Parts: sequence; C-alpha cells; structure tokens
Amino acid sequence: MSSSNSGSNEAWGSRIGLILAMAGNAVGLGNFLRFPRQAAANGGGSYMIAYFIALLLLGIPLMWIEWGVGRNGGRYRKGHLPGMFAALWKHPAAKYVGVVGLVVPMGVMIYYTYIESWTLAFAIFSATKDYWGQTTQEGMLGYLRSFQGLTPEGGTQYHASYTPYAFFTGTLLINIWVLSKGVSGGIEKLAKIGMPVLFLFAIVLAGVVLTLPAQPGVGATPAQGLEFIYAPDFSRLGSPGIWLAAAGQIFFTLSVGMGSLQAYASYLSTKDDIALNGIATAATNETAEVVLGGSIAIPAAVTFFGVAGAMQIAQGGSFDLGFATMPVVFQQIDKTLPIGNLLGVMWFGLLFFAGITSSVAMLTPITAFFREEFGFKRETVAWILGGICFAVGLLHVTWLGHGFLDEWDYWVGTFGLVLVAITEVIIFVWIFKPDNAWKSIHMGADINIPKIFKFIMTYVTPLYLLIILTWWGKDEALPILLNQRSAGSSTPVSDVDMPYITISRVILVLFAIVFLFFIRTAWKRNGYDDRKGFAEIDTNRAEV
Amino acid sequence: MSGGALAFMAISWTFVLGLTAWSFAKLLT
Repeated sequence: MSSSNSGSNEAWGSRIGLILAMAGNAVGLGNFLRFPRQAAANGGGSYMIAYFIALLLLGIPLMWIEWGVGRNGGRYRKGHLPGMFAALWKHPAAKYVGVVGLVVPMGVMIYYTYIESWTLAFAIFSATKDYWGQTTQEGMLGYLRSFQGLTPEGGTQYHASYTPYAFFTGTLLINIWVLSKGVSGGIEKLAKIGMPVLFLFAIVLAGVVLTLPAQPGVGATPAQGLEFIYAPDFSRLGSPGIWLAAAGQIFFTLSVGMGSLQAYASYLSTKDDIALNGIATAATNETAEVVLGGSIAIPAAVTFFGVAGAMQIAQGGSFDLGFATMPVVFQQIDKTLPIGNLLGVMWFGLLFFAGITSSVAMLTPITAFFREEFGFKRETVAWILGGICFAVGLLHVTWLGHGFLDEWDYWVGTFGLVLVAITEVIIFVWIFKPDNAWKSIHMGADINIPKIFKFIMTYVTPLYLLIILTWWGKDEALPILLNQRSAGSSTPVSDVDMPYITISRVILVLFAIVFLFFIRTAWKRNGYDDRKGFAEIDTNRAEV
Repeated sequence: MSGGALAFMAISWTFVLGLTAWSFAKLLT
C-alpha cells in the first residue's frame, strides 16, 4: 500500500560531506578516551590482534550491513529502523522489533550530550586557566568532581551548583539547533567544519606529546607510553576477556547498532555507492582511533606519571584520564612551553567536536520517524525532542552520583547496541536472504567487495554477535538486572541508590512503550499493509 | 621501545593508514 506521508526530502550535498558526517558519527569520545585505556589494560599488542580481527569480522561487515539497511529503507523514504525492518521483512512484527532503533539512540543521546557538555566546559576552563594550580591528579580529580556536583562533604567546591546545568543546556541547544537545520544545512555543515578541526587538533597534540623530553624525576618517555599500548603479552590471547573487550570497542568506535548510521544512509539512492563509502568511513575512524587516539593520552600520562602511575590512572577510568590527567599534563608542559592552556583548548575542543558530530546523528532516526510518518516540520520535531532530552537530561545531571547514567550506559549504550546489531543482521542477511543483501550492498558500488565477506556476513558476524550477547548476558546483564552488581562497578547497588536505578529503568521502559504506541499509530494512520510493504519512491532523489 | 611493541605499532599503523589512503585514493581518482 502506498505511503501517505508527507515525508522528508533530506539529501546530502556532496560525497565528501557524506563521508565526513558518517566519520563524524563514528569518531567519538571513545576514540580518544576509551581506546587507549582499553589497549593498555588488555595486553597491549595482543589486544590489537583481537581488535583488528574484530574489525574485519564484526566492524566492517556491520558497517556495510547498516549502510545497506539504511539505503534500502531510503527507497521507501524510511529513515528509521521500524520502517527499514518492515521494508525488508514483510511481517506485522517487523515494525515493532525496530523500536530498539528508536529507544537506543534517544537514550544514548541524552546522557552522551551531558558528557559532551563536560568537554565544552573544560575547553572554556582551559582557555581561562580556571583549573590552573591543580597540579596533581588528586587535585584535578577534586576539581572534576566539583564540576560534576560530586564533591564529598567538607571538600572544596570550585564551581557554582548551576555550572553543570548551564553547560548541559548550552550543549543541548547547539545540538538541537544543528539538527533543526537538517541533513545538508546542519549536520553536513557541522561535519565539514568539525572533522577537519578535530584532525588538526589531534595531529598537533600527538606531535607535541610524542616529542616531549623525559621529565626530571619520572624518567619515562612518550615512547614508553606507546610501548604500554603496543607491547604484546601473548599469554592474554587465551583469555576471552580481551576478545570481548576488543569486540566491544569496535562496536562503540564505529557507532554501529545505534540506528543513526542507517538514517544517514537512507538519504542515498540506489545509484550511489555504499561499499567504498562504508570502508572509507571505517578507515577514517580507525585512523582517528589507532594512530591519533593512541598517541595522545596514554603516552602523555606515562611521560609525566611513569608507567606505574599511568597504569594506576588507567584503572581509574577513561574520564579520569581525559579530564584530570590531561589537564595536569598541560600545566606541566606550560612550565617549559607556555602553550599549556592552548593545548587544553585543543584537547577538549577535539573531544567536543568528536562528541557533537556523534550526538546530532543519534536524534536523526527519531526526527526522520516523526517527519516521515506524521508529516511534522523538521524544526518542530527537533525542538520538541530537545525539550524531552532536556527534561530527562536534568535527571542525569542531578543524579550522576547515584548510578543513574551508568545504568543507561549499560542498557542502551552497551547491551542495546548488540541487540540492535544482531536484530538487523538476522533481518537483513537471513530473512531478506544473503543474495539479496549482497546485491543490495553492491548497487551503485565503486568497488567489488571480496566474496569472502558474504560468507563472513552470513555466518561469522551473527555468530560473533551471538557469543557477545550470550557472554554479556550471563556475566553482566543478568547480575545488573537482579541488582547483584551495579552497572558502573562490580559492587552491589546500595540501598541509597536503588530508587534512582529503578527510576532510570522505568524511564527507559516508558520510552519503549511510547515509541511502540507511535509506531502502531503511524502504521494505522498511513494505512500500511504489513504483508505488502511500502511503495517505492523515486530512488534518484539524492544524487551524491 | 622494544622490538615487539615497535613491530605491532608498525603493523597497526600501516594497516590503518594504508586502508585510509587506499579508500580515499579510490574515492578521488
């Protein structure tokens, strides 16, 4: 039955704009904060073996699958997973299964924007030298906790209580403003500015860090920092832990399982290439992660804190490394080279651009859903979604210390991603059939993907995903669900935190119920026939 | 820097930069 929606006539302005936006979606905070810490903590060079195997068997095949799912959805003007799944699988359940593709990006976007606001704040704090004087890791951790509103009783408060709220509001406003300008006028323009700036800042920072001399009293060099990441510990290769950690990192770094990549690809026609674009996007992301991400934070930490000190910092988590260790490093550099605050602006500036080019992508499938199915105006949808994100985001800011954010980070930002990925692989490769999926990916292709990847997509990738889902389900999801451990640590949830954890779960369930209601309403409103699928629209609407 | 670490770093960087250079060369030419 034909669609009666008014649709959205979004399109990419240029091929380089598309690739920069896709790479911007993939390059995020994890490239610079999570990857180096993961590599250092999981056996260095051995981790890199597991990492590249996961890239080839999981990451790149999933990239092609998501571009294929998205572009196929675009043939029917469906920029959201409920519509994309219904286009591939003519079954009444398909659209409801796609609800994960609305809940996951909406949930992640809300808390991700809050973390993104820390980078904007610290870029400004660097420019004004606001944290200057906190020259130890403990001092900077106190400063960070003060900003987050987590100062223990009797601790020094460096910020007004409204500071995190102000930065969260400002960051969200920028996100929604970009989103309201559309794909070509907002997201693509942001990527064309943000991505070159990000790479420029990262190259300068890596250059400064890797040429640092050994520090008096520490004796370690940046080369020892690189050794910390790359020295192979082959005894670790037998541990399932590093294989799961590597697969998890590949997932996070490529932004697969989110629904946003598919939404971006839906604005392409069947005459446009997705095979080469997909590999170029993945390669750009890997350059940002392996070459640049691995050359900044850990080598800097080793140079100023020694290998043992850096190891201790790495145990403290990615945010401590990025928001406490790096500011200490910049102040130390400033003693001999008076550009410490400029380096701080560049570090937090690159994190901000890495963050915002990812967060604007997350609301794209939800914007597409309401525009395509209900005919709402782009600006209206963007600002209504912004209002919802603001209201729920305030809970994240206020209840950060109660595990509220950690809970979401696990259910939608970790487990949810694998759930989306395994669902789309089953629907696109198995239900839609491997031959059809392979043909779909090759429509308009500028390269011929090696045939081995057809086998990998059909058998290896789903098996890999199933192992991850089973392992995480047994080791993490069940214990967290049963409150035997909290999402953010291995300790059980305290009685004080329990109400906040419960509220966080209730909100996620409410999101799912509301989206299911809207999906049902959209299908009834537009008179879709689940068994017949959608009418194809003009597939040449978006030449790139 | 030990030989093992240097080798792993060289292989990693060559693979990533090579893939990026190849894909962009293909895109452009």
